[in-house]
Amino acid sequence: MKRAAVYSLVLVLGLLALASGPAFGQDAVVIKNGKIVPVSGAPISGGSLVIEKGKITAIGTNVKIPANARVIDASGMYVYPGMVAPLTAVGLTGYPGAGSDINEVGLSSPYLDPFEALNPEDETIGVARVDGVTTVMTAAGTARLINGKVIALHLDGDLPEDMILQRDVCLVFNTSARQANSYPATFEGLSRYFTDKLDKARQFADKKKAGESVRDPEMEALAAVLDGQKPVVFVAQGEVPLRIALRLITDFKLKGILFTASNDLLKFVDEIAARKIPVIWAGTTGLPDRWKPVDLNYHMAAVLAEKKILFALSESAGQGGGNVRRLPVPASLSVAYGLSEEEAVKAMTLNPARIFGLDDRIGSLDVGKSADIVICTKPLIQASAKIKTVFIAGKEIPLTNVQTRLRDKYRRIVEDRMARKK
Amino acid sequence: MLKRTTTIFLALAGFSLALAAQDVALKGGTILTITRGVIENGTVVIQKGKITALGKNVAIPAGLKVIDVAGKFVLPGLIDTHTHIAMDGGDVNEATDPSTPHLWMKDVLVSDHPSILTTLSGGVTTVKTMHGSANVFGAVNAVIKLKYARPLNELLVQGVRPQLKMALGENPKRVYGEQGRSPSTRLGTAYVARKAFTDAREYKAKWDEYEKAVAAGKTEAKPPARDDKLDTLKMVLEKKMTIDCHIYRADEIVWFLNFCREFDIVCSQISHCIDGYKVADIIAASGATAGGWTDWWGFKEEAYDGCPYGFEIMHRAGVNIVINSDSPDESRYLYLNAAKVQKYNDLPNDVVLRMFTINAAKALEMENRIGSLEVGKDGDCAVFDKYPLDSTAKCVLALIEGDVFFDLARQGVSAVKGGVR
Repeated sequence: MKRAAVYSLVLVLGLLALASGPAFGQDAVVIKNGKIVPVSGAPISGGSLVIEKGKITAIGTNVKIPANARVIDASGMYVYPGMVAPLTAVGLTGYPGAGSDINEVGLSSPYLDPFEALNPEDETIGVARVDGVTTVMTAAGTARLINGKVIALHLDGDLPEDMILQRDVCLVFNTSARQANSYPATFEGLSRYFTDKLDKARQFADKKKAGESVRDPEMEALAAVLDGQKPVVFVAQGEVPLRIALRLITDFKLKGILFTASNDLLKFVDEIAARKIPVIWAGTTGLPDRWKPVDLNYHMAAVLAEKKILFALSESAGQGGGNVRRLPVPASLSVAYGLSEEEAVKAMTLNPARIFGLDDRIGSLDVGKSADIVICTKPLIQASAKIKTVFIAGKEIPLTNVQTRLRDKYRRIVEDRMARKK
Repeated sequence: MLKRTTTIFLALAGFSLALAAQDVALKGGTILTITRGVIENGTVVIQKGKITALGKNVAIPAGLKVIDVAGKFVLPGLIDTHTHIAMDGGDVNEATDPSTPHLWMKDVLVSDHPSILTTLSGGVTTVKTMHGSANVFGAVNAVIKLKYARPLNELLVQGVRPQLKMALGENPKRVYGEQGRSPSTRLGTAYVARKAFTDAREYKAKWDEYEKAVAAGKTEAKPPARDDKLDTLKMVLEKKMTIDCHIYRADEIVWFLNFCREFDIVCSQISHCIDGYKVADIIAASGATAGGWTDWWGFKEEAYDGCPYGFEIMHRAGVNIVINSDSPDESRYLYLNAAKVQKYNDLPNDVVLRMFTINAAKALEMENRIGSLEVGKDGDCAVFDKYPLDSTAKCVLALIEGDVFFDLARQGVSAVKGGVR
């Protein structure tokens, strides 16, 4: 009797769960008639893309459409993979008065994990995703010398764990962060600071390997990047910081990623190409020094493409936040000054996914990848392109956020007031 | 003699492309006049600095220098009504006194400042360059044409009403609050503004009385003591000067427009105007221009309601809208930020193009001189390789009064031996 009751309760709950529908991404969707830009391959005109259980299950001009699939007609529209924003603060900031939870005090804190303060209700999430940014790489900080961890986030989810694509992706070192009044106040000091720390991390790792019982959260976190086990992003704003980063990558066999807004990058492009070091180019909209050509920074992405360097674009010279939706701005300016449109789109999608080792899951429209999809009225690099539909892991995202709510509220208020005055 | 000195000066400077005032024809381009439609395969003739002919079948006077712009787009030189360029960064804010209306930005401009050239490279030919927002009363702004490396007096635009920079909201509060001084609240700021204009009214009354006495032949009349700060504010009361006020929040916009009515002064532009869409009808009724960014928001509390979807509301209410940069970086792609307006709002191309041309000229009260391509207006043109609202377009040439001040082929990467590599 008792057991029967339990069984029926389980049955009822199960039915309820089925009736109310799965949390997300379970219904089949087909996007038809659009110009599909998979990024990993040639664009497909008039093709179809099928989404099932949160993933892309078919793509092409001749695909089998599941029965009962919801059909989205994308005639005249463009279909892209969602954009990926590198090094952001999205999820750690965004409420006035709440303060920001990035850049903890201290020169070295590689153990910090942004997941611990991740706020799924951060308004910058809604602002970014309605414009087609579906994944962000959120960092604990970028301003200290040895910063914390980076997490890859899908911009959807009610709880922090719902958003996680991957935790502990990499660490962030800043080889430009000279201190104002304390060691290291110079680059020569900074250069040795890093060497010293990584030497200690090496010793720590050796002790651990030898079976010694050692415990040090800082060294533990640092040792995890030695010998390329996990990548390190080097924020390196200038010639000397770039050179320090390149030396550390060699000396400690690190899997380095350069993040820079400095056109001094030009001095290293051949070396970087030969060493196959990926770059996050954050300086497109930066102003060149007065003795350099006025359009120098606009050309940098084209140079990186020409040298076959794996590169991604960042809209912000440092850690981006509330305006990662501006990612197409450096892309369009780079195209205006010589980059191909194809490469520009790649630098906002597949390339950052590759750089952070997520390209098996996101970054392009391919069978088996997460259904992170953007449908827009014009090519993605056009500033006037309107985003019409966004999917994250197969779930259609409502195109509303704090700003659309403000628009709706005040459009009504202004219209009412004008009507009353007439 | 003067001309020779100028030439020598320029030769020494070695930077400026333009030498003497030139007559020129831009031939065979798509002309976006802004106010009078689009002319395909058209020609613009500029003589003695002014547009003398414009159209499809225009006879180019013999001997005129001709620039072939076939396949390109010609539009009026772009205008940015909120910048802080052409000056040393240390001269933007005299942050030692919340009220400094006696200062004039024209005193500190540098005519070959690199920001002039970079701004030009985006097709911008006229800017208002301003004091910062530390003070409730900043300084009198300067309107300049970006005649890079010419003597400063050639850059300064004469004959237009100057605009005094004011600032409300968080910035003056923060700057003086941190120093333990007033204003540290919006209430304090309101007091600074009201006291200044109340004093200025009194000052003006004394001067009016004195001038009346002099006019009546009363030789014994003594002039009131001069006060530099009150002199500027008196000009505002006399409507010989207007205000450009930095305001984010809707309540402060309304407060300030009421304040202007109270003192019978003119607000030309509300700068930043983050909340402008919330009170679009009230701004429209005041005649003030709303100037701001397209999508910046949230970088401080009073910027939290920044909304790129607000342009349609303001446009429908009849507000004169301009896109500003407030940064030497973004001033180079006003056209891109304007195209972005269309991402968030259903507004046609011609409405958006106006936001960095004729609307901006109106905000400067220069609509009879710049902001559109019409016969009689200044020969200020920007030439783009594609339609300027196409985000892959770039400016290739910028002319001011017929002189080429920016030529991408000569000043860009392609002019450097070996390109960028």
